Amino acid sequence: MKALPREILAVEGARQIADGDVVIVGTGLPLLAATLAQRTHAPNAKLVIESGVVFPRVVPTPVSVVDPRLMHGASRHGSLFEALGGLVQRGLVHTGFLGGAQIDRYANINSTWVAGKRLPGSGGANDIASHCRKVVILTDHERRRFPERCDHVTSPGFLSGPGARAKAGLPELEVKVVTDLCVMEAADSPLIVTALMPDASPDAVRAETGFDVDFAPELDAVAPPTPEELTLLREVLDPDCVYFPERKR
Amino acid sequence: MAVGVHHLLTGGDPGQATGKVMTAEEAVGRFVRPGAVVGMGGQNINRCPMALVHEVARQGVGDLTVVGCNLSLPLDLLVAAGLVVRTEQGSGNLERYGTLFAWRRAVEAGRVAVADHSHLTMASRFTAGANGVPFLPTRSLLGSDVLAALVAEGIAQVMDDPWGDGPVVLVRALRPDVSLIHAHRADPFGNVVIEGVTSHEVDMVRASAATVVTVEEIVPEGELNARPEEVTISGAYVSAVVAQPFGAFPTSVYRRYDFAEDEIKAYQALARHGDGTYASWLADHVLNPADFDGYLRRADPGGARRAALTESMRSHV
Repeated sequence: MKALPREILAVEGARQIADGDVVIVGTGLPLLAATLAQRTHAPNAKLVIESGVVFPRVVPTPVSVVDPRLMHGASRHGSLFEALGGLVQRGLVHTGFLGGAQIDRYANINSTWVAGKRLPGSGGANDIASHCRKVVILTDHERRRFPERCDHVTSPGFLSGPGARAKAGLPELEVKVVTDLCVMEAADSPLIVTALMPDASPDAVRAETGFDVDFAPELDAVAPPTPEELTLLREVLDPDCVYFPERKR
Repeated sequence: MAVGVHHLLTGGDPGQATGKVMTAEEAVGRFVRPGAVVGMGGQNINRCPMALVHEVARQGVGDLTVVGCNLSLPLDLLVAAGLVVRTEQGSGNLERYGTLFAWRRAVEAGRVAVADHSHLTMASRFTAGANGVPFLPTRSLLGSDVLAALVAEGIAQVMDDPWGDGPVVLVRALRPDVSLIHAHRADPFGNVVIEGVTSHEVDMVRASAATVVTVEEIVPEGELNARPEEVTISGAYVSAVVAQPFGAFPTSVYRRYDFAEDEIKAYQALARHGDGTYASWLADHVLNPADFDGYLRRADPGGARRAALTESMRSHV
C-alpha cells in the first residue's frame, strides 16, 4: 500500500500526540490525525472542540466543529468560553492543531489577510497559539505559504524572534510544522528542518520555502505509514474520502 | 446604572400570557431597527437563525453591525442584501464549504468595515456585557496584529496585572441592541432550551438589550418550570418567541435535523460568482417568499429533504 502525501501528513500529525495528551483540534486533517492517534498509540488522548464539545468519541467523518458526528459520548456540551477560556486559556490543553495561509520563519501564522485578500480570520487559532504548550501545523509545502514574515500576524509563534514571546507576556511554546516535504521545529527560535518526508530532498524543501531555512545537523527520515495506520485512515476514519478526494481518482 | 426594573424583566405577570409569542414578521419589525448592532446566533453549519435573517432581509432593515464569534451563512445573506455596514467577529466562513463570498467581496471593496477578534476575545466581550462589567481581561491576542488593530479601534487595551503577573488584554464589553438565535424549544415566557453546544450564544443573549428566538416548538406554560435547571436561557432576557420548525435550515439543529450539505454547496456555488444568477436566487428564495415556510416549500417541495435530514440526525445521536 503506497500512501498519498496528505495521508503521510495525517499520520505524522497523529504521531505528535502522546498518550494522555489533551488536544484541541478543528476539523479536517487535524481531526483525522487526533482520531488516528486515539485508535493507535494514544488511546487515552482526549479531544476538545472549540464549539464547546469536551472529550467526545468521534464518529466518522465530521466536516465541522459543530457537526453532530463530533458530539457523541462527550463529557460535556458547553460553550466557546468554556472550551477556549476554561480549558485552553486555563492551561489544561497541551497541544493545539492549527492551519493558516502563511507561516513565517518565526512560526507566526496568518489567517486574516494575504495581499489584500480577505481570509476567514482567527477563529480559535490565536487563543490556541497563545495558550497551548505545543502547536502542530499540518500544511502543504508551498513557497507562498512560508514567507520571511507574515503579512499579518493572526496567531503568535515567536513573533519578532527569540525572547519576543515572553516579552509580550505569552507562555513558552514548541511548534512543529508537518508538510508533505518535511518536518520543521522551533522553540523560541526560527523554524529549522528536522526530518524529511519519504522521497523529499533538502533542495526541494529550499525551493518551496520563502525564507532561508536551516537544517538540523542530523536529519531524521519520517517513517512511512504502517499498513495498519493506512487501513484505519481509509476504511474506518474517512471511508467516503471526505478529506481525501484524491483517493477516489 | 439605571435604577428600577429593566425593560427585559417587565414582560408580564407570572402565570399570565406575556405577549412574547409572535410571528417573525412582528418580532423583527419590533426589535430589529436600522443601524442596530445585531448579535448573531449559530456557528458554521449549526443552529443559525435563518428564518429571522430571511425576515430581516425581506424587511430591508439596513445599516446593521453584525457581531458574533463565527459568522456564517446568516451574515452572508444580510451582506448580499446590502444591509450590513460593519462586522465584529472571530471568523467569517463555512469551514470546508469555503469562505463567505458576499462578505469577502464587500470587505475587500471597503463596503463593510471589519473588527477582527479571536473567538475567545469575542466570547469574553459578551461575557463582560452579560455580567454588567465594562471589560474582561484575557491573555489571548498578546503580541499579535489582531491586538494592534483592536487597540487602534478603542476596543482593547493592554495593561499590567495589578497583582504583578504580567501583561493582560482588556476587551470592552459588547452589548448588542438585539440578538437573533434559533433554539430547540421555549415556553410562552421565553424560557429557552438549547441542546448540544451553545457556542457564544448564552452570554451574547444575556448581554443584549433585546433578543428574538425562533424555536422548533413552543411548549405549554409550566412544562419548563417543572425542570428549571434544564433551561439554557431564562425568559428574563428574551423579548420575542417565534415558532418556526426547520427555522435553521439549511443548517443543523442537534438531535432534530442534520445540515443540508447540498443546499449549502449550492448556495456557495452561486455566492462565489455573485452575478445575476445569485441575485435571482436571493430574490426567489429569500426576498419574495411571504415567509420562511414559503422558502422551505420552495427549497423542499413535499418535505422529502427535511425528512431525510431528520433521519440523518437520528442516525447520529
